[in-house]
Order: sequence, then structure tokens, then C-alpha cells
Amino acid sequence: MTTLEFYDPCGRLEVRQPHAPRLDTLAGKRLGFVSNEQWQAFRMLPLLKALLERDFADIEVLPISAFPQGNALIGNEETAAEVKRSGVDAVIIGNAA
Amino acid sequence: MTLTRADFVGVMRNAVSGLGLAPDAAMVTFPIEMFLPGSDIAPVEARKQEFYDGLTRWSLVQANGGAASAMVSVQGATFEDALARANHMVLANQWGDGLPVWPATRARVDWILQGTPLPREHVLGTFPPRGGVATVELCAIALVMAGGRPEYLPVLVAAVDAFLTPESGSEQLQAASGSAFPVVIVNGPIGPQIRLNSGFGCLGPDPQHPAGASIGRALRLMQQNVGGALPGVGTMANYGGLRYTNVVFSEDEGNLPAGWTPHGTERHGFPPGTSSISLAFANGATNIRRRGAKKETPEEDALQGMHRMADFMRVPNLAGLAGYERGTPGILMIPGVVAETMTRLGWTKRSMREFLWGHSRIPAEDLRRAGGHAWIEIDASAVTRASAALDPWPITAKADNFILIVAGGGHPTNSYWLQGYSPGVVGREIRVSSHFPRLLAEAEQDLTGR
Repeated sequence: MTTLEFYDPCGRLEVRQPHAPRLDTLAGKRLGFVSNEQWQAFRMLPLLKALLERDFADIEVLPISAFPQGNALIGNEETAAEVKRSGVDAVIIGNAA
Repeated sequence: MTLTRADFVGVMRNAVSGLGLAPDAAMVTFPIEMFLPGSDIAPVEARKQEFYDGLTRWSLVQANGGAASAMVSVQGATFEDALARANHMVLANQWGDGLPVWPATRARVDWILQGTPLPREHVLGTFPPRGGVATVELCAIALVMAGGRPEYLPVLVAAVDAFLTPESGSEQLQAASGSAFPVVIVNGPIGPQIRLNSGFGCLGPDPQHPAGASIGRALRLMQQNVGGALPGVGTMANYGGLRYTNVVFSEDEGNLPAGWTPHGTERHGFPPGTSSISLAFANGATNIRRRGAKKETPEEDALQGMHRMADFMRVPNLAGLAGYERGTPGILMIPGVVAETMTRLGWTKRSMREFLWGHSRIPAEDLRRAGGHAWIEIDASAVTRASAALDPWPITAKADNFILIVAGGGHPTNSYWLQGYSPGVVGREIRVSSHFPRLLAEAEQDLTGR
């Protein structure tokens, strides 16, 4: 019998930060959207905004355009800082396709 | 949380782990049809509760990414049987590329590591988009799998180091649909020393010059295994051309005409004679017939060839947008014999670039009918956005962005255009170990029988 032992070529990942905690409820919360304006985001995200506002009467959902939009802008540090400054409790990001 | 295409889950997990989070995220996924113009978006409402749950109830279920240097093993009745089982395991784990690999045993990896002065645990960076920690040891592992040798490792390490630099644009290109592949241009003495091809067939397989294929294949394996760029899962590259071996070759410095500086010196400022790499991304590779067919004078032959090359570049497919300001619209390869002739006729590297820049400009009307302006106007670069007003529109911000390389077989008929898709062009000096002379001597013996 011959045994071949060899390396897994994938290496390791470093988890440096935890995922954001989930909200206890959406009622009374402030939500935002970060949109790349691609892949029908201009239709789907406003629909989602309307649904949230209908289903949670005291929710505040910022306009889709509240933060910089487009693939070139939504991933940069300035946009992340702007989202944090806005005081939103959560964001929905779309559309990844 | 994200709104995501169903087949994009792997990309999303890679992106999340690349940010240093555990590799999963709250996602509501839909099939591609939902994301196309005119689609029925009613499923968003039908599944609204999933969005609400993603914000309030989602929890991480995927495990962390595993330990460093994990070993696996197979057993077989014979060595050949074990080798076959090892290759089956490599494919089952999605670690390979479909061609047979050499299992990265400890002995083989240790052998390869002799090529670099760096310690095996040295971290070169995190490989986008997955964020795998890229070590020198992982380079050696990939090089073993790709059939490489220790004297190739310094080139691979330099290429990986350049690849992981944000300036290269790899973070986006690894996952994007544009089928970008890295192009590694090697300058300096190490090219001929390790049998990198700079002449006939320099972009293809060549048993006389096996280094390029192994180094490029190893880089590709790292892109996939460490970076997570598994086709259709971690990378959305529609076609993935040239991804078996990427492109790794050396400039034909022995045939540079008088007054032509090596690419590594010209673009990156390395002193002539420095072993270095230059990494860019391309997503096209096309032969351009350069030579005239009848009774052209030398001047006509040269000028017609220049027009033919510039005309080929004058297309509104917008690949060059990625590197419009600081990258490159592409890499033009011309054989040494052509460079020598052009020089004799009074052309310089600079005048050739200026010609290509001037004559590859696209009339605004052509750009408009192809929808080009919309892409230019949404670009992240202000320089690029401002270029939308230009008529004719230059395919890159400045002539110096064109990469002009002397390489290819000593024959005047053809040139070769690697269409750029490259936000940056990154240079790195190559550092070899003190064992290098011995390794070269052993390679001479192994590969020639002498």
C-alpha cells in the first residue's frame, strides 16, 4: 500500500471582525439602501422600500439615493463612513448579480 | 444584508470573507431572470419576509476557513493508483484545473522553497476576493501542483506580491465577469536563466521553455484556491480565456534596438539588468498581421503595419476603461526584427506609442451608437469621466499607458495585442535565494540531460 500525503492548497482565512448583530425588530428602526444601480436595482429597491414602510409603520427608510450609488462608489471607505455617520440601524445592499 | 442572484452566492461569500468576516452573509437570492430588463419583480414582494428575517434573525452557519498548512492523504495499491486517487481528490475538492497535478507533498514543497530567500510562513497579503492568507508556502504548494521547479518560485512570489497590491485591480477583476487574466512580463537575467520564453511561441506551451506555463498555472491555481475564483461560483468570468496558464513570458532584451529600454526600466524604474516582473491584466489576445504583402517600400510597410495595429485598437468595446487613467489599454508585442527595422526607419518607442494613441481614437458618433458614453460617465475616475467630452475619444488617457514589448519569434509578419483590462500595472523586483546557482545547474541537468 502506498500513502501520498500532500497539502491542502487553500490556506487559511483570518476572521478579523464579527458580523453586525441582527436587529430585535424593524419597528422604529432607521434603514438605508446601498445600491449599485445595476441589475434592476432601480426597480427592486424602491419596491422593497415601499414594502418596509407599509409593513412597519414607524420605520424610517432613507431614500435609495441617500448614499453614493454605483459599483465604483459603494465599496469604498468614504461610502462606508457616510453610512455609519447617517445613523442607520441596518442597510440592504443590492443588486449583486 | 444583500439582494443577490442565486448563482452569485459564492461571489458574495468570497467578498464577505475578503473583508475579514466569517464567509457567509444574509442574502435573499433570485434567479438571473429577475435581474434583466423588463423582468417581473413580484417575487420581491412575495418573499419580503426573507428580507425582514435577514435583518432580524439571520445567524452564521458556515464554519471558519480552516487551518494553515492542512495535510490530506490518499492510499493506493501502487504509486500510480495513489497518484490517480490524489488527482481525484484534487478535483473533488475543486482544487485543480482539470489537468493532472503533482500532489504537493512535503518533500516536493520543501524542494521548491529553496528558490526563495523568504521564509515559508512569510505573508504576501490576502488573496481577493475570498481573503485567503497568501504565504510563500502556498506559492510553493501551487507551483508543485503546476509541475514547477524551485528556480521558478521567485518569479511566482513577485507576481503574487504584485497581484495582491490594490493598485493591480485584482480585487475586482478576480470576481468580475470580464474574463481578465494576469499577464506577467519578466525582465532581467532571470528570464533566460530559468528558461522563460521570449521568442517563438512565447505565449504557448513549449518543452524548451517550460517555466511560463508552470508559473502561470500556479498563479491561476492560487487565484482559485486561495482567492476563491472558482468559475461560476467565485468568479463570474463568462469565458475565462487563457486561464490554464495565464500569460508569463520574458521580454526579448537581447533584441532590443539601440535606445530602447527594457519594459521594467521604462515603466517601473528598475535599473537595467534588474530581474523584475510587471503585472497587468488583459482579457483578449489577438494576432495582428503587420507585414505588407506586395511591393511596399520599407517606410510603407512600417506605416501600414502601424495603421493596421491602431485600427484594430479603435473599437468601442471599452475594455480599456478599467485602466484608462493609470493602467493600460493593452500590451502590444512586436518581434525584435520589427523593432529593429522600425528604429532604422526613424521610429522610436515613444513615436510608436504616440501614433497608436492618436490613431486608435474613436469618433464620438461611433462611441455614441455603441452606448459607450454611458459606461464612461459612470466610471470611478474623474479623468475617465471627463474624457467623454472628447471627439474623437482616445482609448486611454495618455500614450504612455500603452505597453510596447519586444517579444515573439524573429519573423516580421505578425504582432500580438493583449487587450488590456487593467486598472494598474504593478512592478516588483525578483529576489532569489543563495541556492540559485546550484538550482540553475540542477535544472540544466534535469531538463537537458547534460
